[in-house]
Amino acid sequence: MRSALPQWEPAQLPACGSPDRWGWLQQLRNQPELDPEPWLLALENGSLSIAPDLLAVLAERLDPPAQLRLLRWWRQQPDPDPGLPSQVLRHRDGASAAWLLEQLAPGPVALGFALPLSALPQVVAAALLPLLGHQRQVAAWPVLLCWMRAPIATPLRRAALEGVARGLSVWPRSQLVAGLSALAGDLDPQLAAPAVDLLARLPGARRALVPLRRCGLDPRVAERLGRRLAATPAQPLLLVVHGRAGGQLPAELVALAAELECRRGAPVRLQALSAAAPAAVPAVASELLQPGQVLGLVPLLLLPGGHVRHDLPAIVRHWSAFARVQHWPFLGAWPRWQAALARELAELAMQDYKPAARPLLLHHPLEGPLAARYLTTLERRTGAQCVATPYSAEHLAELKLTLAAPDLAAPALAAPALPLALAANRLTDQLAEQVGPPLLQRPGLRQLLLAELEALP
Amino acid sequence: MDPLAKPSKIEQAKAELCGLDLAPRLGDLASQGWESLDEATLTIRLKWLGIFFRPVTPGRFMVRLRLPNGVISADQLELLAEVIDRCGDQGSADITTRQNLQLRGLLLEDMAPLLQALEAGGLTSRQSGHDNPRNITGNPLAGIDPEEIVDTRPLVEVIQARLLGPAGPRNLPRKFNVAVGGAPDSFLLHNDLAFLPAEHNGQLGFTVLVGGFFSAQRNELAVPLGLWLRPEQLADFTLALLCHFERHGNRQQRNKSRLMYLIDQLGIDAYREELVEAFAEPVHPHDGSHLVSRAPRSGLGVHAQKQEGLHWVGLHVPMGRLDAASMQELAALARTYGSGELRLTEAQNALIVDVPCDRIEDLLAEPLLQRLRPDPSTLQAEAVSCTGNAYCSFALIPTKGVAQQVLEELEQRIELPEAVRMHWTGCPNACGQPYMGQIGLMGAKARKDGQMVEAAKIFLGGSMGAEPKLAELHEKGVPLSDLADVLELLLLEQFGARRREPAGF
Repeated sequence: MRSALPQWEPAQLPACGSPDRWGWLQQLRNQPELDPEPWLLALENGSLSIAPDLLAVLAERLDPPAQLRLLRWWRQQPDPDPGLPSQVLRHRDGASAAWLLEQLAPGPVALGFALPLSALPQVVAAALLPLLGHQRQVAAWPVLLCWMRAPIATPLRRAALEGVARGLSVWPRSQLVAGLSALAGDLDPQLAAPAVDLLARLPGARRALVPLRRCGLDPRVAERLGRRLAATPAQPLLLVVHGRAGGQLPAELVALAAELECRRGAPVRLQALSAAAPAAVPAVASELLQPGQVLGLVPLLLLPGGHVRHDLPAIVRHWSAFARVQHWPFLGAWPRWQAALARELAELAMQDYKPAARPLLLHHPLEGPLAARYLTTLERRTGAQCVATPYSAEHLAELKLTLAAPDLAAPALAAPALPLALAANRLTDQLAEQVGPPLLQRPGLRQLLLAELEALP
Repeated sequence: MDPLAKPSKIEQAKAELCGLDLAPRLGDLASQGWESLDEATLTIRLKWLGIFFRPVTPGRFMVRLRLPNGVISADQLELLAEVIDRCGDQGSADITTRQNLQLRGLLLEDMAPLLQALEAGGLTSRQSGHDNPRNITGNPLAGIDPEEIVDTRPLVEVIQARLLGPAGPRNLPRKFNVAVGGAPDSFLLHNDLAFLPAEHNGQLGFTVLVGGFFSAQRNELAVPLGLWLRPEQLADFTLALLCHFERHGNRQQRNKSRLMYLIDQLGIDAYREELVEAFAEPVHPHDGSHLVSRAPRSGLGVHAQKQEGLHWVGLHVPMGRLDAASMQELAALARTYGSGELRLTEAQNALIVDVPCDRIEDLLAEPLLQRLRPDPSTLQAEAVSCTGNAYCSFALIPTKGVAQQVLEELEQRIELPEAVRMHWTGCPNACGQPYMGQIGLMGAKARKDGQMVEAAKIFLGGSMGAEPKLAELHEKGVPLSDLADVLELLLLEQFGARRREPAGF
């Protein structure tokens, strides 16, 4: 770096209050080159005091090593100006980040009220926590989380939250959502409200925000949540479902759609696979969609059978001719749905007092290698045994007998069974006593599905 | 100018990459964080997208919009309210002295979705900062003003479209202010380029004034260029003038790069000749006389529009600062009582327009109008302020807070028969236009009781009337703690103020 001209040396700086000082500093700022070394030296040896106007000019010229040097000097001051670090620490820099981490990693215990000489003053911690977030190093996440959750003064927790805000996009997403969701329920609205605001900035924010509606938030925070949700209005949804003979829609699905529409505040329509494609798609599309809106198409189908592989792409193509369509995977592939099935099966086993027996998932027969892979995965994730169940009257009658007296005919079927059917169909109609109601008539699964659908964009 | 001189760092940065090219990368920049941006991108280039890094609040950015002629709809205001509401107590919006809005407290992650939302909402923040043509101002009462000479809205719109279009300037030597006058009170001489309504051979058009600006080094009112234009010529002429400035302006000394320095260098006659040649359309010589004859109206309170049965209601926004809730309420009121349109003024206030007679009473009874008053005190009514050191590292005082505090103190002490235009600014850069005020105040330091304290210089005598005049220095440095006393005396002695009776009498 070239040396600064002599007239721009610290000794020449007009004193605070001098009418020449502001203009002098502006000229200093406009110098094409400025060596910060003499300025840092003058600060360090005490011949120069750091006023905000000088800092504003110097801060623009500090490279990462110089910014860290100034920070270290600041940290040693008996009465450090809390405004300095944020002006100085402009650059993302490994050494500065490491220094910040070193200061803050011990957590609130570093405040060390009993050890004033080595302690981290609150004012220092509050100034540094946002800057730790600025540095956007993943290693800072647990430190910020620790400060944010600690039972310490609100300004310090807010400073940690501000650090989270400034590095928002780099923190581990699931941990971030969990941390902010927990904070949204904090009794202190000064912490809860910004937590809601930060959740609202994340991609797919509705998924994180919707569950908060049932969390009993502070009324002011709940209002804020309402505003955030209103700003990310839900898309209209088209639920593709199995119909019954003649295209009739099962009552469970009609009720689900009605409740979902109410909860989302946006239109929800059902399209039965067994029905002919709606002839008036353009009219329906224009009825459902505001200009610029996207139609969410959700296949409430549980298996990757012919409907998913062949009929569904045709339906998507059909609607895509008239609307922008966001096509979601079929329901059976949703991990949360599979986990809910596993819970339902486990409860079933407990109710039957046969916890050791491997429960059954009775499903419509599938063909092809994809189906086989899917069923293997489902068995692994739910712990159940998938049993293909043809829906012909003859097969169902036989199965009814087998399930009624399993030990004799087929010992493997001596276990609780769950029908892989969302709504009532021939299987659940005929084997109601043996397999119980369809999945949507089971409160846990219905609530989960509603919550998942409600949280979709 | 030395053509061989090394360009400044700013000029180098501008030449290397135009900030507009960063738009598609905003999403990536958000995930990388602003710390990874080089200094030039952070502090210079992002301003081409209207995004401002604020050294006083690093990591919390400002976005400056463009609101041609200060017109904004309720839907647009609601959109912006939602944006700053998400910023919690760090979020606010300032009405600027260019009839514009700037939003504070935003994260870099907000930028990509914000710019998309602005576009969808018919707004833009493009080229609103740094070396660009800034928001184009016009008569805030355009289209509703009973005294209107010409509706400035379509003219301003076309000028903006031309300047932001493919032929528009991307790399000016310095910022550039353009304004169009449309009423007898359209004072615009502080702009680099001002079009004031004027007649030529019985035809209504515009006389051109050039070179106005305020800075720490020099303050000038615009001077007549000696040309008269038809309204439909304004946009192309503006583009020609800016392209000329882009080619010939001073790029070596930033403190001598505003348009007036180029005019000084060429001489007004030679400058005019070059512009006429660049414009390549017939223009008429003109003596610079115009139809602007008095200082701007405040527009506050209830006033009849030129449309029978409709009124505008001007609301005073203290120091021009709005929070999200006020913006939401303001939008709702504009929609409920008016046509859903609002106007912003250079005095940093807001007007609700198209209010029918039978809705006025209900509007005046709305709770928001206790905060944004249609009838503020004569001290508050025409107070204008820059941002101050809460957000600007150059400001020597917390301008908005000090101004509000001092004015409230004075309200307790004195009655002022007529509004006095008080312009507050935090430093000699003069963003709060102190030279335009009847009283101008500028942040400073002064010694009191042996201690260096925050203070204000006082300027007096600015006029935006028929004979415009810049305010002149009256007091070099009054400690802020003494400011109310000094201003009280000034207002008593020179502005006809009366002391209030002590309580109980």
